[in-house]
Formats: sequence, C-alpha cells, structure tokens
Amino acid sequence: MVHKINPAELQKTVSSVPMISASASRLLQITSQPDHEVMDVVNLVKTDANLTARVLKVVNSAAYGLVNQISSVDRAVSYLGQQVIVSIAIESCAGELFAKELSGYEAVGGDLWKHDLRAAIAAREVVIQSGADLSPDLAFTAGLLHDIGKALISDYLRGSAPEAVALINSHDSLDYLAAEEHLVGVDHTIAGEALAKAWQLPPELTAVIRHHHQPSQAEEAWRPLVYAVHLGDSIAMMGGFGTGSDSMRYKLDPHYADFIQINANILANVMLVVDTEFNKLSEGLSDTGEKS
Amino acid sequence: MGQIILGVGDFGASNIPEDTIKTFALGSCVSVIFLDPKTRCVGMAHIALPDSTINKAKAAEKPGYFADTAIPALLAQMAELGCDKRGKGIIVKLCGGANVMDTNDTFQIGKRNALSIKKILWSYGMGAIAEDLGGNYSRTVSISVAAGQVILSSPGKPNWQL
Repeated sequence: MVHKINPAELQKTVSSVPMISASASRLLQITSQPDHEVMDVVNLVKTDANLTARVLKVVNSAAYGLVNQISSVDRAVSYLGQQVIVSIAIESCAGELFAKELSGYEAVGGDLWKHDLRAAIAAREVVIQSGADLSPDLAFTAGLLHDIGKALISDYLRGSAPEAVALINSHDSLDYLAAEEHLVGVDHTIAGEALAKAWQLPPELTAVIRHHHQPSQAEEAWRPLVYAVHLGDSIAMMGGFGTGSDSMRYKLDPHYADFIQINANILANVMLVVDTEFNKLSEGLSDTGEKS
Repeated sequence: MGQIILGVGDFGASNIPEDTIKTFALGSCVSVIFLDPKTRCVGMAHIALPDSTINKAKAAEKPGYFADTAIPALLAQMAELGCDKRGKGIIVKLCGGANVMDTNDTFQIGKRNALSIKKILWSYGMGAIAEDLGGNYSRTVSISVAAGQVILSSPGKPNWQL
C-alpha cells in the first residue's frame, strides 16, 4: 500500500544511507574541476589503501588482459582512465545502494548500477562524439549518480508499478516522474537531490540529479551537462537497460539541440560504443567481486 | 535443451521442442521471430540498429546487431536446420522498437529499426503476420519451440501473447 512520503520521512531515509567515503567525496570534487590533473587523482587514490587495492585488482583483472601485471597506482590510473577510477570508488563505498533491488519499479538487484553505468558511458560518448564543449569525465560521473533517488523511494513505491503504468497510459501528458509524485508525493529527482546534499556533492552533480528529466529547469551554467546526462539516460533505456517499470516512460526534451549537436548516425555510433564499453567495464568490476 | 538467452545483437534458432528462446528488455531494439511450421523450427534475432554501413567490422563480428545483416544470418542458421534458405513458408512476428516519450526524429531508433527490418523482409517476399511495435515501454519476449507461442512481458503490465 503506497502512501505519501512526508519531508521528515524523506530526511530519515536519506540519513539511513551510509555517507560516501571521504576519498570518494574528494574524488568527485577533484574530477568536477575542469582544470584538474591526472596526478591529483593518482595522489588521492594513494591516500586510500582500500581504493588502491581495488584499482589494482581491476586493472589486473582478466577483462583488461594485460600480459604484465601493473603494481603502481600511477600506471593503473593512466591505463584505466579517471572514469573507471570514479566507478570503482563509487561502487566501493555506495555499492549496496546501487545494488539494491528496486522492487517499487519491479527491477531486480543490480539493474540500477547497470543502468547508471550505461547512462554514464552514453553521456560521455554523447559529449565526445558531438564535440560538445564539456568534460567527458564529468558527464560520466554525473551519469553514474543521476538516479540515486530511485534507491530511496523504491520501497515506498512497492506494489505501485501497475498503477503508475495505468496512470501514464490514461494521461498523455504524464510521465513516470509525475506518476511517482502522484503516488508517493516525491519523485526520484527530489529524493536524489536530498541525498546529494547530504553527501555534499558538487553543485553540478546535484543539478544533474535534480533536473535530468527537466534539463531546461537547471541553472544555466550546468544546463549543457544536464542535457548530456538527459540524453545518456535515454540512450541507456533505449539500449534495454532501464530500471524496470519506468523504462522509456520519460519525455525527451528536444531543446538538447541548443547545446548538443547529435544526428541519427552519431546516435547509432554512441549506442555501439556504449555496448562495447559497458561489457568491458562491468566485466572488469565483476572480476574483482564487485557488482556489475 | 533448455533456455536459449539472446543478448543484444545475438540470434539463434532451434528445432528441439523442449527449448525456449528468450531475450530481455527490448528498448528501441526489435526482436524478429521466425517460425517454420514445416520443420517445427523457431528462430529469433535481437536487432539493435537499422543499418550495418556505420560499422562493417561490428557487423562481421556480430551480424545480429544490424537489421540488414541479422535477417540473412538468421535465415542461414535456420536453413541449416532444414528451413527454406529464402524463408519460404516461414511465419514472421515482430516486437519491440519502443521510443522514449515525446521523441524526435533523431531518437526514433525503434521506428527506424522496424522499418528497416520490414524492408529487408519484403526483399525476401516475407512479411509479419503479427507485430507489437512502438510504444514507450520495454519488452521481454520468449517463444517455446514446441508450442510456437510468443509471450511478452513488461514490468507493471500483465503478460500478453503475440
């Protein structure tokens, strides 16, 4: 039986989620800065023994097929790239949240992580292949985090998927975001924003989490990034990696074209790269016992 | 014997009655299903994109990925199981090809996939007798070889038959 989530309940749910680790938080801060350098990432990884161990495990996993083992963090970071380091850091400290079974959306455990990883790769590829004036690394990180709110409201939505679907089918103007709001009073972008604030995420990442379904409402400075993730999210769903009952039931905002130039050919190429990169990255992470 | 699971860009066929062929969560991808009443053989492809010209290397590695290479590849596999190599007598069903809401031309990959598949089927003189295409939802599809029954499911909806 669904009921409306009041602000105190939302806050309580947010508080029940473990904080992200200090090094993950710092990593997100560093990689959000447009002028950061690889050495900043290397130095940060070196300060965290757990993260160092995981990074070395991933780079030496079968997925990367290296002939000679890599034992230095410097080489591992430059070989894997910052996006993989961010994925490892987030997965290490918030893996339970991302692996959660989204029963409110009739999605199994792990679907959220897979969707987020696909959206992250797609957002990055959209930026690269369209030549948008944005950091591909930042688009990746933002894509990885954009849907954290679903893990917070999923339990409240339990059993509501048929009602949400019926509601959308009977009202042309409603998408799943509106259905969430109608059913439990809070949609996943609002819940996600509350968690982003508790985690003290950088403002551009918080903006993506809050506005990825309505990018035009984002602060002007972050709008290109929010649009990139908006497209990445759609591409992940189109590729068959949604999070259950809400998949494909969101609106595309055509004003992305004001910021991102993408045609049918570029889109097809992005989808191809997403498939290849996703398989490689999820294989690398799962080889070390991480969720994929 | 058992369940044959097809990922994105995979295709497969079977004439073993106990087998089921299944593919999960078609978004804009389209599943082409072939049933041959004569040989009791069933085939399926999970097609992601309409046209292989954008990446010939990928098409060579995974022909099931593109409409124009998947259909000949699936027919060839079914021919090995005794079906007509030009698809004569084969029953065709199509499903998937969804789009996000309020989509524009660029993002209508689902629609382009379906059109491309139909065009290629026509070139073989084949056409779908049943289809469940478009809409704004993902579909999981399975077919049992013995019954030839195509069952679709989508989170939040009761299962239905095509």
